[in-house]
Amino acid sequence: MDSAGARRILARWYPVALVLAAWELLSRSGAVSKRLMPSLADIGVALVDALQQGDLAFHAGISLGRALAGFALATVAGVLVGVAMARSRLLEALLEPVFSFTYPVPKIALYPIFIFVFGLGSLSKVMLVFLECLYPITINAYYGMRQVQQVHVWAARNMGASERQVFRRVLLPAAAPTIFAGLRIALPISLIVVIITEIIGESRGLGYYITYASASFEYATAFAGIAAVAAIGFVLDRLLVAVRNRLIFWQRGAAFIGA
Amino acid sequence: MASPTAEYSQAQRLLLGLSLPVLALIAWELCARFMTLPSYLIAPSAIAATTWDMALSGELWRHADASLARALAGFAIGAAGGVGMGLLAGIARPVEHFYEPIVSLTYPVPKIVVLPVLVAWLGAGDASKIAVIAAGVFYPTFINALYGAKAVDRLHVWSARNMGASVVQVFFKVVLPSALPQVLAGLRIAFALSLVVVVAAEMQSSRSGLGFLIITAEDNIRFDLMYAAIIAVALAGFGGDRLLVHLRRRLLVGQMVGREGEHG
Repeated sequence: MDSAGARRILARWYPVALVLAAWELLSRSGAVSKRLMPSLADIGVALVDALQQGDLAFHAGISLGRALAGFALATVAGVLVGVAMARSRLLEALLEPVFSFTYPVPKIALYPIFIFVFGLGSLSKVMLVFLECLYPITINAYYGMRQVQQVHVWAARNMGASERQVFRRVLLPAAAPTIFAGLRIALPISLIVVIITEIIGESRGLGYYITYASASFEYATAFAGIAAVAAIGFVLDRLLVAVRNRLIFWQRGAAFIGA
Repeated sequence: MASPTAEYSQAQRLLLGLSLPVLALIAWELCARFMTLPSYLIAPSAIAATTWDMALSGELWRHADASLARALAGFAIGAAGGVGMGLLAGIARPVEHFYEPIVSLTYPVPKIVVLPVLVAWLGAGDASKIAVIAAGVFYPTFINALYGAKAVDRLHVWSARNMGASVVQVFFKVVLPSALPQVLAGLRIAFALSLVVVVAAEMQSSRSGLGFLIITAEDNIRFDLMYAAIIAVALAGFGGDRLLVHLRRRLLVGQMVGREGEHG
């Protein structure tokens, strides 16, 4: 790496280094108990330990599986329902009010009922992830399809495109950026919901792992678990953006944050 | 994209919109009366009666009050920091450059993961819950305020400066009003989030609040109580959201660009 490149990386990432340095200083200064706020080195050792023992990977796999299962179900159902709502006036009139009225209601309150219906295991968590992710995905698919310019549809029809072709070649590509914006909102939600449900009560998964470690006063291990969740959240988001940029090659540059 | 079928009238839309929930409620009520449903599916009429009784006795208010106090405290702290820093980052490059890598790294991370550690640091009381809510609220408010302030028309800023406005005046008379729609959109997302987090945190460890009520009612197999608490959570979420939409309408008189009463 040349020095100009190094300088550019430093110029961009120095705040992260600053925050980490502040943490390390606080931890080593003794102002805060070292057990409550372990040094980065201790967290690193705990992380390596947990990775070697394999239990971090085990719990991460379980959380990841639950989050992705619910997210995948919600993607399929949400896009289908959203598209159907945009295509049919009847379905729109029936479903749109239900979605918009229940959107601001915290679905997590239903978790105890989900436990009764779907059991204490993974299924109740997957279904709650599904329900929470369904909203942004459905609503974005619906608005995305509604936003398509009528002129484009007319132009395609005029050039002899069939209903099916109009859908696949005009409507779907035009709605795709908005649909992906919905997926990008839903993906972190899926992780949040899984972690929350695992914190509330479970014996597997990263939410449990972190809760158990901090309840046993092993804060370095807890931070190793938090680091794992952070890494998973970050990598999933980057992966989704990469998929989006491949599929929607004509519109570059999803903003790094937000959007 | 308009489909070729006929538009529904306002009355028809209302009727169709109500039809599914009402049908579901009637079906549920009938099933509960004439069939044996699983014990957790008690009749809507019984749920309504319990909810009403608890609202009258004040028990529901006590728990709702505890939850809302926590949610609003976290919301206020997180939103003050998020909106303030977001607007500042939107007008000052160095501030944006400072926050950008930190926020983009931690944005996709569920902030709730730090709850167990915060409980260890701050105790299982209100402080840890308020702190995790504030952390969650910071992100959507920061990002929306940042983009709102960045999208301010340069020409407006230049004109104001040209006519002798001070930096402070430019901020309050130009940047803030034009970023306001985006800021309010961020607040709306953040409010919904603060309720989710408070209920979850109360389910995990608490001695009051609606989340606590839901969990204890479930443990004691008092399903009517559990549903009453769930209804209260739903009403809080819905009511708060309506309030923010109303506030937006009042504040943004003359610049309502989006659809009126748009949800989502």
